[in-house]
Amino acid sequence: MWRHISVLLLLTSFSLETKGAAQSNFGTDLQGNPVPTLIVPNTRLVVLVFAASDCPISNRYVPEIARLNGEFSPRGVRFWWVFPNPGDTASVVARHNREFSIGEDTVLDAGQKLVRLAQVDVTPEAAVFAVAGGSLSELYRGRIDDRYLSIGSERPQPSVHDLEAAIEAALAGKPIPKPLGPPVGCSIVALGK
Amino acid sequence: MKLLRAIAVAPALGALLFVLTHAPETVVHAIAVPAAGVAAFRAAQADSAATQPASKSSDAPPTWSRDIAPILYGHCTACHHPDGAGPFSLLTYDDARRWGPQVLTVTQSRFMPPWLPEPGYGDFADVRRLSDHDRDLIQLWVGARMPEGDPPAAPAPPHYDNGWVMGKPDLILKFARAWTLPAGGTDVYRNFILPYPLAQTHYIRAMEIRPGAPQIVHHANITIDRSAAMRRQNAATWQNGIPGMDEYVDAGDTFDPDSHFLFWKPDTPALVEPEGMPWRLDPGNDLILNMHLKPSGKPETIDAEVGLYFTSAPPTKQPMLVALERDDQLDIPAGDANFVIEDSLTLPVDVEVLGVYPHAHYLGHDLKGWAILPSGEKKWLVWIRDWDIDRQSIYRYRGPILLPKGTVLHMRYSYDNSAANVHNPHSPPVRVRAGNRSEDEMGHLWLQLLPVNAPAGGPDPRLLLEEAWMRNRVRKTPDDSISLYNLAAALAGEGKYVEAVADFEHILRLSPNDERTLTALGVALDGEGEWRRAEQSFRAAIAADASACYARFDLASLELRHQEWKNAEADFRAQQVACPEDAETHADLGTTLADEGRNDESAQEFRRALALDGNNVAALIGLGTIETEEGENSEAVMQLAAAVRLAPSSSDAHTALARAYAQAGNVTDALAELRTASHLKPEDPELHSALAQVLASTGNVQEAIAEQRAALKLLEDDPDGWNNLGVLEERTGQKASARADFEHALQLKPDHTQAKANLARLGSIN
Repeated sequence: MWRHISVLLLLTSFSLETKGAAQSNFGTDLQGNPVPTLIVPNTRLVVLVFAASDCPISNRYVPEIARLNGEFSPRGVRFWWVFPNPGDTASVVARHNREFSIGEDTVLDAGQKLVRLAQVDVTPEAAVFAVAGGSLSELYRGRIDDRYLSIGSERPQPSVHDLEAAIEAALAGKPIPKPLGPPVGCSIVALGK
Repeated sequence: MKLLRAIAVAPALGALLFVLTHAPETVVHAIAVPAAGVAAFRAAQADSAATQPASKSSDAPPTWSRDIAPILYGHCTACHHPDGAGPFSLLTYDDARRWGPQVLTVTQSRFMPPWLPEPGYGDFADVRRLSDHDRDLIQLWVGARMPEGDPPAAPAPPHYDNGWVMGKPDLILKFARAWTLPAGGTDVYRNFILPYPLAQTHYIRAMEIRPGAPQIVHHANITIDRSAAMRRQNAATWQNGIPGMDEYVDAGDTFDPDSHFLFWKPDTPALVEPEGMPWRLDPGNDLILNMHLKPSGKPETIDAEVGLYFTSAPPTKQPMLVALERDDQLDIPAGDANFVIEDSLTLPVDVEVLGVYPHAHYLGHDLKGWAILPSGEKKWLVWIRDWDIDRQSIYRYRGPILLPKGTVLHMRYSYDNSAANVHNPHSPPVRVRAGNRSEDEMGHLWLQLLPVNAPAGGPDPRLLLEEAWMRNRVRKTPDDSISLYNLAAALAGEGKYVEAVADFEHILRLSPNDERTLTALGVALDGEGEWRRAEQSFRAAIAADASACYARFDLASLELRHQEWKNAEADFRAQQVACPEDAETHADLGTTLADEGRNDESAQEFRRALALDGNNVAALIGLGTIETEEGENSEAVMQLAAAVRLAPSSSDAHTALARAYAQAGNVTDALAELRTASHLKPEDPELHSALAQVLASTGNVQEAIAEQRAALKLLEDDPDGWNNLGVLEERTGQKASARADFEHALQLKPDHTQAKANLARLGSIN
C-alpha cells in the first residue's frame, strides 16, 4: 500500500557513533561486510534511496539517481542505494547492480533498521539526512519526483523534482520543501512473514 | 495491366492515405494460457464460490489455494510469469504474497488487468476486466494477511513456453539490426521495418511476435507498407528504426484497402485470423512495427522477431478498415479540460462490424463510438471513460454487429489539456494540434467492417465504403488532396468516370503538375472514352516528371489498344529507357510487335519478359501464340498450359491453348479448353463459332449447330457465320434452313464466294 504522507514530517535523528555494535546499524555491503559508516570526510548530506531489485518503478529511477549523484556528489552529497527486502540478497543485488550499471554505494538493509530509522515503506523512496555534530538528522523523506501519482497514473515526464529541490535547499541552508505527493512504488516486504 | 493508381487508404493509427496500421489478434485465448486450463481455473473458482458461500465471511477468509490462484491464473499470469511481459511473476504463493498489496491496489483502481471499455457498451470477446466478485476476494484476502490455505487444493499452475506458441512459423522476419532503448527518459515510439523477402505472394492466417524484451514493449501496431515507401524515404537510416507514433505510408497503386487490425499486445502473442479471412503479403511489401517502448532503468536491446503462418486458401471474405476522425478540428487550447470533437459517417452498404480500435494520444479522455440504425435503434460500439494510451488495444466483438445500409456511425471524443491531466506531456499545458508525434494529438475511431448482402454483379462494396468515407473527409476538408484522390480513385473503380475526372481536375487546380494525379486522370479519361484527352494527360504527367513510369506505360498501352502500333512501340521503348526494366513493358511491346506481324522481334520481347517474371501471363500467351503460328506445337502447348495454370480465369489463355491443341490434332483437349473459354466469356461470338467448328469436326453436328446459332445471336451480321450454319444444317438434312442461311449470308455480303458456291451446290443436289 502507498503511504500518504501527512501534513508534518517527523524528523528523526540518530547517533553517528560508529564504534562497536553500532556498526551493524548500517547493514552490509555486497561482499557481506558490515558497513561501518554512511559518510566519508566532507560529507554534508547523506541520501538513502530505498529500492527493490524486482520493483519496476524503483528500477526506472536508476538513471535519475545517477543523474542526481553526478550533480551533487562533488558538493558533499553521498548517495546510497538501500535494498531492504528479504529476497534481495547480496548475490541478487550484485547481479542487479551490474545489469543496471549502478555505480553508487549500496547497502543491504536485511534487518530493515534503515527502513525504521528513515520511516519509509515504499520502493523507491528517498530520505535525506544532514550530517552535523556526529549525528544524522532526517531533513526529507518521500518521493523522488512527481512522475508517478499512483500505480497506473504516470506522467510522460516529471514536472516537479522533489528530491532534487530538497537537496538544493539543504545545501543552501534554506527550509526544506515537503514532497508535494506520496511516494509511489512497491511496498517494502515486512520481515518475519 | 496496370490499374488505376488508386491510393487505398491504409488505415492504421492514423490517418488516411498513408498510414500505419495496427491490427490485432483475433483469437486471443488459447495462446499463452491453454484455453482448457483457463476453463478449469474458472470452473474451480465457480465451484468454490458455490460450495463455499462463507468464503467472504470473517470466519473463513479467502485463501490463495482456493480463491486467489484461480483469479491470478485466469487473469494475470499470461503476462506475469517468469520472463513474461509483466514486470514480475504471480505464479506461486510466494509471488502472490510478495505482490499482494500491489495486486490489491491495481485491481481496486482497475489499472489491472488492463481493460478500458466500459461494460455494457459493446459486447467484446476476450474481456479482461475483473469481476466485482474477484476484486472483493482479493481485497478480503489481502486484508486477512494473505493466507495460503491448503496448497494441494490449488489448481496446477499454467505452463508458459516463451518459444513460438503456435509452433515453428513458415517464415520468420527479423530486425535488420538490434536497437538499444536508452535506460531512462520518456516512452519511445519507434518504427522498425521488416522487408518481406519472398518472391511469391502468401496469405497469412496467423502472426506471432516475439518482441525480444517483452517487459519493455508495451504494444506494437503493424502496418503493411505495400510499396516499401517508408524504407525508400529513409534509405540511409531505416535499419535503426524511425521515430514517430503514427506514420503514413503510401497505400500503393491499386485499390487494396487495409483489412485487418494487426495489433500486438503482450498477453496475445499470436494473432490468429478467422477462417476465410487471411491477409496477404506480396513480393516487395514491408511490415512496419510501430512499437511503444517503456524505458526500464537500464539500456534494453530491442530485437523483435515476427513469425508468419501461411495458408494456401485465399480469403473468402474481404473486410475493410474505415475510420471516423476529426483531426482537422484538433486545435486544443492550453488549459481546456473538455475539448470535444465529433464525426459521423453514413454506411452505403450493409456491414458487419468485427472490431474497433479507438485511438488518441495523451490528452484523450472520454472516447465514445456508437451507431444509429435506420430504425432509430442505437447500438454502442465502445465507450472508454478514462482513456489511457498505455493500455490501448483493439477490441473484437464477441459476434459480428450487423449494421444495415443507411446506419450512421458516430464518434465523440473529449480531450483534457489541463494541468490536471496527469498524462499531459506539456507542463505547463500548451496549445496542441493534430500530428504524429506523441505530444501531438489524434482522434480516430477505426472499425473493421465486413460488407455483407452485396448484390451480385454490383461494384466491390469496399469501393462504396471508400467513396462514402472519402466524401465525408472531403466534406470536412474540401481541399485535402489525399481524400480527393482516394475519392476519385474509388469513383473510377466503380466506373463513375465523369465524377472521377472532376475530382482529379480539382486536385490539379491545387497542384497542376502532380504527376500521379495527371496519370490517374488519364486512366479515368480513358475509362470515360476520352482517349485522346487521356493521351494528353499521360503526356503531361511525363512532362511533369520524366520518370513517370506508370504514365509512360499507360500511354503506350493506350496506343496499343487503339492500334497505333508505331507510337506504342516508340513509347514502350521510351519507357524501357526511362524506367527500371519490367516484365509488363516487355510483354506489351511484344504484343505490339506481334500485331505488326514482326514475330521474331515480338518473341524476343516475350522471352525477355519471361526471364524477368516467369509467371507473366501476357508473355506466355504471346509467345505460345507465335509458336502455334510457326508450328512449334509442343513448345506452344507448354507455354499456354502454364498460362492457363497461372490464370485459370483468363479466357484468352484457354482459347490460345485450344488453338495449339487443335493444331497439334488434339481435338479432345481443344474442345475442353474452348468450352472453358466460352464458359468464362459467354458473350464472345467467336468462341461459339470456334466451338461449332471443333464440334463439327468430331461429328457432333447438332451441338455444333446450337453453338453456331448462339454465335449468330450475339453477332447477327456475320456472313461467315450464316454460311457455316448453312453447311451444318445441310449436313443434317435441313435443306430449307440451309438455303435460307446461305441467302442470308449473301444478303449481308453479295460476293461471298463460299456462300454462292454452297447455294449452287444445294441447288444441284435438289
